[in-house]
Amino acid sequence: MFKDIVLAVIAVGFGLLLNAQSVSSGLKEEANIYGKVFDAPLRVAENDSLLFHGLYNRKPLILALVFTRCYGVCNPFLLRLAEYIQLRDKDDSFSVLVLSFDPKDSVDDMKLLGKRYGLENNTQWTFAVTDSIESLNRSIGFYPSWDSSIEQFDHDALLVGINNEGFITKKLIGIRQPHDLDLLIASVNNIFSPTYRLPNRNALFSCFNYDPKTGKNTPGLGLLFIALPAIVTVILLLSISYFVRHKPLG
Amino acid sequence: MESTKSKKITAVWILTVLVLFIVSIVLGILMRLNQGGSIEQTPISFYTNMTTHGMTMIGIWFVAGMAAINYLLQRYIRTSFTINVVALVLTVIGILLFWSSTFIGKFHAAWTFLYPLPFKQMGAESWATLMFLVALTVLGVGWLIWSLSLMTQLLKKYSIPQAFAWQHFRKNPKFETPPFILITMITLVGIIACLISAVVLIVLFFAEYFSSGTFVNDALLMKNITYFFGHTIANEMLYLGLAVIYELFGEVSGRPKWKTTWYVALAWNFTLVFILTAFFHHLYMDFVQPQGLQIVGQLASYLASLPAAGVTVFSVFIAVYRTEIKWSLVNLLFFIGIAGWVIGGLGAVIDATISNNFVLHNTLWVPAHFHTYNAMGNVLFSIAFFYWFSTRQFTQNFKVAKYTKWTLALLLIGGIGFLMAFYIAGADSVPRRYSIYPSEFTTAAPLANLGAIFATVYLIAILIFFFNISKRCLKILSLPS
Repeated sequence: MFKDIVLAVIAVGFGLLLNAQSVSSGLKEEANIYGKVFDAPLRVAENDSLLFHGLYNRKPLILALVFTRCYGVCNPFLLRLAEYIQLRDKDDSFSVLVLSFDPKDSVDDMKLLGKRYGLENNTQWTFAVTDSIESLNRSIGFYPSWDSSIEQFDHDALLVGINNEGFITKKLIGIRQPHDLDLLIASVNNIFSPTYRLPNRNALFSCFNYDPKTGKNTPGLGLLFIALPAIVTVILLLSISYFVRHKPLG
Repeated sequence: MESTKSKKITAVWILTVLVLFIVSIVLGILMRLNQGGSIEQTPISFYTNMTTHGMTMIGIWFVAGMAAINYLLQRYIRTSFTINVVALVLTVIGILLFWSSTFIGKFHAAWTFLYPLPFKQMGAESWATLMFLVALTVLGVGWLIWSLSLMTQLLKKYSIPQAFAWQHFRKNPKFETPPFILITMITLVGIIACLISAVVLIVLFFAEYFSSGTFVNDALLMKNITYFFGHTIANEMLYLGLAVIYELFGEVSGRPKWKTTWYVALAWNFTLVFILTAFFHHLYMDFVQPQGLQIVGQLASYLASLPAAGVTVFSVFIAVYRTEIKWSLVNLLFFIGIAGWVIGGLGAVIDATISNNFVLHNTLWVPAHFHTYNAMGNVLFSIAFFYWFSTRQFTQNFKVAKYTKWTLALLLIGGIGFLMAFYIAGADSVPRRYSIYPSEFTTAAPLANLGAIFATVYLIAILIFFFNISKRCLKILSLPS
């Protein structure tokens, strides 16, 4: 009987172990960070080509990956980016490269795209194509896949921050708030950005609780955990002392 | 009185510690050779070795100190043999589980295992984190039981004010608390507090691990608790070694035993209070930590270490200055160890000063100072005890043999050279925890190779000590019960 109980406990324990999973978020935005971007040859006009490093060596770069035939996220994504950069009034600490990842796109297609957004004469913006898109995609961890049924790429809306040494400093996936873009620009300029985890319903024991209404921090339950070992030790010390010194004789 | 079985288990502790120490030194040398570019390890192998090296070193020198005070406490109180055995068994099991998690499972989140690193697999096996946490639990349970047992035995004989020597704050105290008892009690309380913090930490890790994402920890809280445990245990194990010195230095030098005075009592009571808050200095770079705690961290770093170091250095100075001393390997090692502890301690206090920390944080200055007070401080305290323990079972003659002088010379040359490579690199802003150095750090690789060469010299000295001490420990094990 006892043996069966032990075996059952071991079986349950083993089952729990098998089901246990480590909480690894595996965020795609973290992939390839601090890796070097592939030095792809870029074509910006019919007879005008340069290597990638020619752009990022001049100024830190924000790379937006799009394709002109997209009837999904590419247009709102690019529109939001253009609006945001206009709002940053004369911040010329970085350049923007809009690069097509579709081999079918030509220099003229990209030129037309720039024209659609009124950016064709804006020196901060470059619209380009490359014949080494696969190597470039690999170096930044971007994997669009062609869906032949809808004749479209299934892809993320990806912004990549590249500093003037060609290292990827930050990636943003999706259409994001201006604050995120501020962090991206700070990162390509090698400016420290304090980051923190946002309030989370699942985080029960924070040291401090931030109240956005008052802008103040109040002590949280987590602080108790820091004091707990000392409190428990004092209680143990007093209790043990009491019990060993008041133990009845015999 | 020490019984034969107590001698035997102490001998087993010593053998275990020395074998693990040698393996850990080899891992350290491999790491330095890899940083120097002399050998090529994969990043995972490097960080696996770094994790194993760090955690094993902390573990073995903690248990070495505990085994020593357990043995010497028998001069004053009865200690539990069974608990000693339980601690030994759990330590061996814990180390085996831990080594499996690193060498087989490739767990490589460093001995500080800062949250959320253990949850990032980064090439490790999926079960490695769990095994690491289980290993930590086994070690923590064994050590907590051991510490509580020793504290209980002390409290049976000494009241709380006596154990903390509070009566020495008044003139002409009626009862004298031996300094060994005072420091042991102060240290055990600190150890229990930090092991309880380890329990809290492990529970929080397990809670997140098994919650499948429904519970997440607060990174600031986890870092605070991690250093409550890590910083405190790394310091308390030094105090265990100092307790041994207070007990044995006079005895082996042919001098009277050291006494507790008001300033000794005050300094060690300061240590008890402030060592528990000094860990805040590990969070200077955490901008979300409230500023008040950063200031507490700096003040506590001074108040925990300087008074205790002051009275200990003063006691040693008084004991040796213009006095006839019977020099032996035991008190020589104690003496050199005190120097190593003080130099490393000063390096630590420099780093714990906020304005300096901006420059030194995460440079090789950090391993420089903690290797100084460990490799040339605490390790020497324990080896002195091992030598004293293993020799006195057969002879009372501790005279320094000729070959011993050469061994000491190797230890000093190897130790100082190895540490200088760290200090110079640290002062040159070479970062720590890099498996290989970018070419911009021109001095980093040559200094790493130099460090490896000197560490090998240090290892040779340790191997000679190991050979001599283990030979006698094996003889003790064959004594009739």
